[in-house]
Amino acid sequence: MSDDAFTTLSDQLRGPAPDGLRELSDDELADLSAAVADARHRQAAALAEAGDRALSHIPRLLRGPIKRIVG
Amino acid sequence: MSQAAELLQAHAEVMKLARLLDREPDELAYLQRMAPGDLRALRDGVTETLYDGNSSLGRLAAASRLLPAGLTATIGQRAFGPLLSARLAGLLDTEKAVDVADKLPPPFLADVAVELDPRRASDLIASIAPSLIGQVTAELVARREYVTMGRFVGHLSDDAITAAIAHMDDEAVLHTAFVIEDRSELSRLFAKLPTGRPAGVIAAAAADGLWLEALDLLKHLHKRQRKEMVLAALALDERAHEAILDTIIAHDLTDEVRLIAEHDDSIERRLAERRCQKG
Repeated sequence: MSDDAFTTLSDQLRGPAPDGLRELSDDELADLSAAVADARHRQAAALAEAGDRALSHIPRLLRGPIKRIVG
Repeated sequence: MSQAAELLQAHAEVMKLARLLDREPDELAYLQRMAPGDLRALRDGVTETLYDGNSSLGRLAAASRLLPAGLTATIGQRAFGPLLSARLAGLLDTEKAVDVADKLPPPFLADVAVELDPRRASDLIASIAPSLIGQVTAELVARREYVTMGRFVGHLSDDAITAAIAHMDDEAVLHTAFVIEDRSELSRLFAKLPTGRPAGVIAAAAADGLWLEALDLLKHLHKRQRKEMVLAALALDERAHEAILDTIIAHDLTDEVRLIAEHDDSIERRLAERRCQKG
């Protein structure tokens, strides 16, 4: 395992990865980092879509204030 | 914990992590050789990142405060879906979130439960009516979502645990107990089992060959609960006894033998005989 691969995973976690994971190979750490990054991106995309979908269920009168809060 | 039990716990952790990352457990098979404690810490790190790493979640929760519970429930089901509803659940005011949960169908709540980090919604979970917890449990049992149920036990009130157990068959109790997130909660779970159910859990272990899982529970139970389990096992047929002895020998479960010996003084002799037979 290289320090780079472990650091990349820690960056994705926004905090130190558990030390025991240093036993993983570079490829395994890279796969894990990619899985975390994918999950974060999927969630961000789902949130953006859900915000738009949610507005269609909200009475017109409330859409302005809600949009201002959601941003 | 025996090495074999650690492997099973690591497998359960990989399942939990795979769900969080939306991967198949097989895709993360390389993690199986890691210690369960490291996998748990990794899962905690991923959970923190997903829950705290997006400010939109907080803004959506703030916006939902303007809406009545019924409309929030409709939006949760039709627009957000289970994953985002789970992320938002812990951000809503508890009273509002309980009202919203009351208006959602149990199958959808079961979907949300699968995605939810219970630590983020502990007050909400503890405030949900036991009858609704029972209905959601029935859904989770039908889906064999033992890992999900195991994550929730520590956050449920005593009444909610009682309601949940009423919807769990003995096999579900055994599987859930084995993957329970906080093992110190095992004695509380077993304290809520009605008379006869511990014997049923032992019978489920015999029927499904889950002796490693059943034996691993012993050290986490109160002495009285252990006694009930051991006596139930002693009442089983010889084939079951041999299976227990074989599990103990195969995985070198010395701690478990000591606990069984407190209630069954023949265990050491029978183990020695079995070892001779297997030769």
